[in-house]
Amino acid sequence: MKEIMSIVRMKKTSATKRALVAAGVAGFTAVKVSGRGHLVTDSQGLEKCREKLLAMGMDELSDATDTENLITSFLDGSRFFPRRLFTILAHDDDVPRIVEAITTANRTEYRIGDGAIFVLPVSDALRVRTGEAGEAAIW
Amino acid sequence: MLLIRAIVRPEKKDEVLAGLSGAGFNAATMVDVVGRGKQKGIRIGGMVYDEIPKVLILMVIQDNDKEKVVKIILDIARTGTEGTFGDGKIFVSPVEEAYTISKNSPGL
Repeated sequence: MKEIMSIVRMKKTSATKRALVAAGVAGFTAVKVSGRGHLVTDSQGLEKCREKLLAMGMDELSDATDTENLITSFLDGSRFFPRRLFTILAHDDDVPRIVEAITTANRTEYRIGDGAIFVLPVSDALRVRTGEAGEAAIW
Repeated sequence: MLLIRAIVRPEKKDEVLAGLSGAGFNAATMVDVVGRGKQKGIRIGGMVYDEIPKVLILMVIQDNDKEKVVKIILDIARTGTEGTFGDGKIFVSPVEEAYTISKNSPGL
């Protein structure tokens, strides 16, 4: 038995749910969380992002230094962004399939911020309705 | 790899995260949670408050970073020199596999 913890973009929640159903896993638990990732060292990529955000953020109403500061805080890695944490219980054999499904559904052109998947061991599970234990309690 | 689950006071959240980031552990996930400890909550007059707000910080780190990360959280999240009830807990669980969705190879 394994517990798959996956942190995904808020916008990808329904895509992830669909991907899970397609992979034959219907059950999951999801929580709203906020998260941040490893520091990005690719300065060229960051510069591109900054230009894009500046182009989007600046208009005649906004203050230049405020916008600049806001964009810097977006890119320096200290800010937390809203994400969805999925928890899925799975049989050992299904783990690669589920990981593949989540990865395919969540990969975007932006790459940074796409999220992460962690696989943890589970020692036992119980179904409350029937009292079944172990593998039978998952699905 | 290890999963660190740290339950800390909400007012200590920013300090703890800044401390971790300063030591090179930037990646973290946090959730607002409520909970109680073995003191069974707080009794004020006739009222018992047993859903005390805390922040749960989740981090996945390499095995050999465990001591460093745990020490940072303990040092910052403890209130006073002796610590107080309600300062929180740290749990460490094994993680078998980790994948970064944007990368093709497994790993943190």
